[in-house]
Amino acid sequence: MAYKPQYGPGTSIVAENRRKYMDPAHKLEKIRDVTDEDLVLIMGHRAPGSAYPTAHPPLAEQQEPACPVRKMVTPTDGAKAGDRVRYIQFADSMFNAPSQPYERTYLEAYRFRGIDPGTLSGRQIIECRERDLEKYAKDLVNTELFDPARCGIRGATVHGHSLRLAEDGMMFDMLQRCILDKKAGVVKYVKNQIGEPLDKEVKVGKPMDEKWLKAHTTIFHSLVGVPFRDDKEYVEYTQRIHSLRTKYGFMPTE
Amino acid sequence: MTDAIYPQIRIVPERLLNPDRVEKLMNLIATTEGVRRILLNGQRLPATVPYGPARGMENPHPMRKTIKVGDQELELQVHVGTILLELENRDPLPAIRAACDEVFAELSYSIKEGRFMKSEPSLADYAKYGPDADKDIIGMADPKSKSGPVILQGLK
Repeated sequence: MAYKPQYGPGTSIVAENRRKYMDPAHKLEKIRDVTDEDLVLIMGHRAPGSAYPTAHPPLAEQQEPACPVRKMVTPTDGAKAGDRVRYIQFADSMFNAPSQPYERTYLEAYRFRGIDPGTLSGRQIIECRERDLEKYAKDLVNTELFDPARCGIRGATVHGHSLRLAEDGMMFDMLQRCILDKKAGVVKYVKNQIGEPLDKEVKVGKPMDEKWLKAHTTIFHSLVGVPFRDDKEYVEYTQRIHSLRTKYGFMPTE
Repeated sequence: MTDAIYPQIRIVPERLLNPDRVEKLMNLIATTEGVRRILLNGQRLPATVPYGPARGMENPHPMRKTIKVGDQELELQVHVGTILLELENRDPLPAIRAACDEVFAELSYSIKEGRFMKSEPSLADYAKYGPDADKDIIGMADPKSKSGPVILQGLK
């Protein structure tokens, strides 16, 4: 029988969402339409429309050593062209943000190629070749994995994940990269991810409402969402892993 | 300085507060009799980007505003999240609760009693204020910053 990944335990909506986002067979729902140019502006690695700077000559032009692994693995577009490695980093609020760092890393590993994710408690960075990055960033921002108010694109000074929200429902950001336009109800980025002011505002759409967030979150929260302890299966699984890895050094048998 | 221990309370609203709401609450609390010291705590909002590739650039932030408490202008340096108060005694508590009810309206909040303010000088306090520092000043402003605490006109 062919191996079928289970992605994760749990019976709650949070666990269900975690599995759904990780499963490459599940097509992520497209919610907003941030253009390529806008994303390039927010990331701030190159001017929109400019050529991709390269780190090495295209693979077709350079002599590759005879290597069976290189023959087996097809290079991504960015690797083929010799692009630089660049990054996008996200901070997710613990107040029902659709994604969270571990979830991001898992789903990226299942869905994308040629990436180097870095997972921290309140932020997650993904590094890859520049043109691949732009393609992946579009998926990460335009789909149900992102919420303009509860997720932030932040290269430096990322603090906000574990803080209370501001009065208007936005996650705290010391550099205030994005602001909520109250008249239009739209979130717009006024600085790029490292905090340099942008020449033009970049709109990333309306913040989603509480009901939507609760239905799409992958974070347990005992006050505003689904408490972890309510998901018995998840608790049992976590306890089992904890117990096994504690006993591992002695005699790893059940 | 007597050794009396004054009651202290901590007000924690559900959200980080906008400057106008802080101003409204501060004006109500500052006019309440029996409040000795007020401390606004929250996430710091520096005037320039402190680190990262954009270090040193201007950092305009809508939450860093100057508010007016009584006759005194006060520049907020934090996004206010917690308000600590030291009282003469427990008498002003109902008035403070009423002020919170009025200002927070749709936001929930909690008030706790305990010891929340710095009681002993730290090494940085010692370096700034010396061995005979006034204990009322300790913990009221960051000892490493050039700004000091704001003194409001009392009601007595």
